[in-house]
Amino acid sequence: MTIQDLVHEAMVTMPAQAHEDVGLSADQCLKCNVCLTVCPVARVTDLFPGPKYVGPQAQRFRLATQLAVQGSVWPAVGSPDSTVDWCSGCGWCTTACPADVKIAEMNSRARAAIVADRGGKIRDWLLGQTDLIGRLGVPFSPLANWTLQNRPVRWLIERLVGIHRKAPLPIFADRTLQSKVRSAERRRRRAGTWAEPPPDRAVVLFHGCAANYYEPHVAEAAIDVLRRNGFEAIVPPQVCCGLPKISNGRYDGARDQAAANLPTLADYARRGYRIIGTSTSCTHTLKAEYREMLDVDDADSRAVAAATWDICEFLVALHDEGRLNTAFGRLEERLPYHAPCQLRSHGIGLPAMDLFALVPGLEAIDLDHDCCGIAGTYGLKREKYEIAMAVGEPLFRRLEATGAARAACDSETCRWQIEAATSTPTRHPIEIIAAAYAAGDATTSASPPR
Amino acid sequence: MPAPDVVVVGAGLAGLTAAVALADGGARVDVLAAGHAASHWMPGGIDVAAPAGAATAREGVRALAALSGHPYTLLGADVAVALGFVRTVLEESGLPYSGQLDDPLRQVPTAIGGTRRVSILPAGQAAALAPWSPNESLMVAGPAEFKDFWPGAIAASLARSSPWGSAEGRPARVEALALDWPTIRGRHNVNALVLARLFDDPSWRAEALAALARAVERRRGQAGRVALPAILGLSDHAGVMADAARIVPAAVFEVPLVPPSLPGMRLYAAMRAALLRRGGRIVVGESIVRVERDGARVSAVVATTASRERRLRTGALVLATGGVAGGGLVVGLDGRVVEPILDLPVEVPAGESLLAADPFDPAGHPVERAGVRVDAELRPLGSDGRPVLDNVAIAGSQLAGQRYLAERCGDGVAIASGWRAAQRLGAARASTSDASVRTGAA
Repeated sequence: MTIQDLVHEAMVTMPAQAHEDVGLSADQCLKCNVCLTVCPVARVTDLFPGPKYVGPQAQRFRLATQLAVQGSVWPAVGSPDSTVDWCSGCGWCTTACPADVKIAEMNSRARAAIVADRGGKIRDWLLGQTDLIGRLGVPFSPLANWTLQNRPVRWLIERLVGIHRKAPLPIFADRTLQSKVRSAERRRRRAGTWAEPPPDRAVVLFHGCAANYYEPHVAEAAIDVLRRNGFEAIVPPQVCCGLPKISNGRYDGARDQAAANLPTLADYARRGYRIIGTSTSCTHTLKAEYREMLDVDDADSRAVAAATWDICEFLVALHDEGRLNTAFGRLEERLPYHAPCQLRSHGIGLPAMDLFALVPGLEAIDLDHDCCGIAGTYGLKREKYEIAMAVGEPLFRRLEATGAARAACDSETCRWQIEAATSTPTRHPIEIIAAAYAAGDATTSASPPR
Repeated sequence: MPAPDVVVVGAGLAGLTAAVALADGGARVDVLAAGHAASHWMPGGIDVAAPAGAATAREGVRALAALSGHPYTLLGADVAVALGFVRTVLEESGLPYSGQLDDPLRQVPTAIGGTRRVSILPAGQAAALAPWSPNESLMVAGPAEFKDFWPGAIAASLARSSPWGSAEGRPARVEALALDWPTIRGRHNVNALVLARLFDDPSWRAEALAALARAVERRRGQAGRVALPAILGLSDHAGVMADAARIVPAAVFEVPLVPPSLPGMRLYAAMRAALLRRGGRIVVGESIVRVERDGARVSAVVATTASRERRLRTGALVLATGGVAGGGLVVGLDGRVVEPILDLPVEVPAGESLLAADPFDPAGHPVERAGVRVDAELRPLGSDGRPVLDNVAIAGSQLAGQRYLAERCGDGVAIASGWRAAQRLGAARASTSDASVRTGAA
């Protein structure tokens, strides 16, 4: 099935008005509380009464309020549930629910309603400004990095802004991925070698903020791996997917970002290009959250959702079609792996583990823990840092017990959290795969006797 | 990726039994489940059969196997070996069970002060099974902060109805013990899971069990047993039971609660761990919507993902998606019952309306008997009574002809059918793998 078929099918088969289904799915709740059994936050604190209470159970009050607005006899009760703010948005509740209730999505929308009603914290606004922070930080990266790693400064930031002084903040790169790509493109235009390759030989890379401002090497590893499989990476201008704003209840700002991203991406999708991302939370936002959270449910968002792939998901699909380049060299290592919550929300299994299994010598270990705690920006917040660390604690202990030199994880904020909590360098799976190809090159070039 | 030999859809007792048994035989198994359900709802015992009139589970199986169309007509002979296998697996995961098929079915207390007839229970509930001696009392104990278990109401109800039979004796007294556990004093939001996780902490439980021991000792001179709500640990249940035996001067047993049920969660965790140890895989949150066929074989299952369908090739399929409660059968507003994944014909008891029936009839609801009809190999049958798919087995409460609530046979049918499914599909594995390679190349 081609991407164009998928995009066409998505127009027909995706449920109409996904955003309305989220609220009404409360009606399917059996009150079995299975969601509570998998909630990482409720596991470590009872400040959060659990997904059922703030989700489907509180939803009837929200629905009553909506009805009141529409002139029913029910009185408006406002938002009944300020404890919903303790939800980290990891999505495990939705994954485990046997009755298909969209609990995490319901909670996210409830938080957004509270922010819309009562306003939110300046800190939470700031955490949503990933592009602004990146654009300011990268040009002054030595100073910015020194400042943000400086303990008195961090103490001051905690006091003034509410970002915990020990929370893992990333290191700015000295140049953005966009700027590197643009200058390479200019060089090729000048040389007259620039032409957009067709969809069977190229994909669109959605790099997200992490690979743009902090970890361009992750995107470069992806570009390398894609090229080794016959795909050029097209990197169109793009902004933050909007997830940090969604998680902090600022849907209007996130809708602006969706509006900025969708026309370009949808145009590529309709022309048969796949959209590939290295950040599993960005790709999940493109696939599901524009529609389910932001009510952006139109031809463009559907086309983009249908055409979007997580990088490892895409490579596994290539392998299933017999098209993956498997010229991997040996990597003699035990590699502990953490599957991020957002990856699980994709419903695609653990494609990174499938890829690791193809690399000779590589023994990947699934650390089999629910959540590292960070949940995007949740664990950065002063009042939530301790909770986030407690959520991730068993993971950190399990990782340290392996004694491995490095670990792998698909999501940037999880990697930063794991590195800060364990001092174990943690890489994106695509970096491991790129290293396996590089090891293959070394073997091939070394094999002829001199 | 190489296609698994078998995909098991459903992670209840039937699906997990099939998956562990398949992996045990060397098959590559993927378990896919839409969510957690049956395992997290079940009280944790293994109800093999307890129809009215049967004194033991084995007698119950025999009686049910004599009923036309009951799954035990096909599976009765497999129950003992399946039970032995499952118990070995659970014990290997640190969750031993007590009781045998030939042990008498006993009345044990429930969390609303009724009783249920059982004979095979996890060790944590097993102290409820022994006959009561004439001077023994039953102390129903729990903290006042916990709203899913009311010792006073349970004790009063048991004392009034005294449901025990003559063979099992009866407690001399049934009384309530109110426990005062300092860390939860005055907390309004304490649930079973919170308490179980507190019990996982050795120092917390030492204090809680000491408080229980003092309350028991105040009933000076009375021999007795203590019924506690099923909150005695999640990750370290065995450690809690060992400490309870050491600290409390009376035998302690758990009474299962409303969902989420800790004994069911422990059973799920033990089976999952056994599956992973054998190289099997499990993904929760994956809804299978349909399959792809290659003649009379299923060649792939199709799952929904965040934005599109995902196709997973497989050599064979175990469908263990449950009955109406588990979502494996769906009743439409018109009263029609459908099996949504394979669209198999669903047998519905003739001449009875599912919607008009008395939902509280002690003989059971007719919809319990609705299900998929299978042959002796658990292959689903078409409306002409002939097998429609060769490499498919149906397991668990989706099988037609059982009244799993009234006959208390759901767990026995689950393990026997899971076991049988694994035997057949495991044996057919070599040829199945060849077939999956062929379809995978398409």
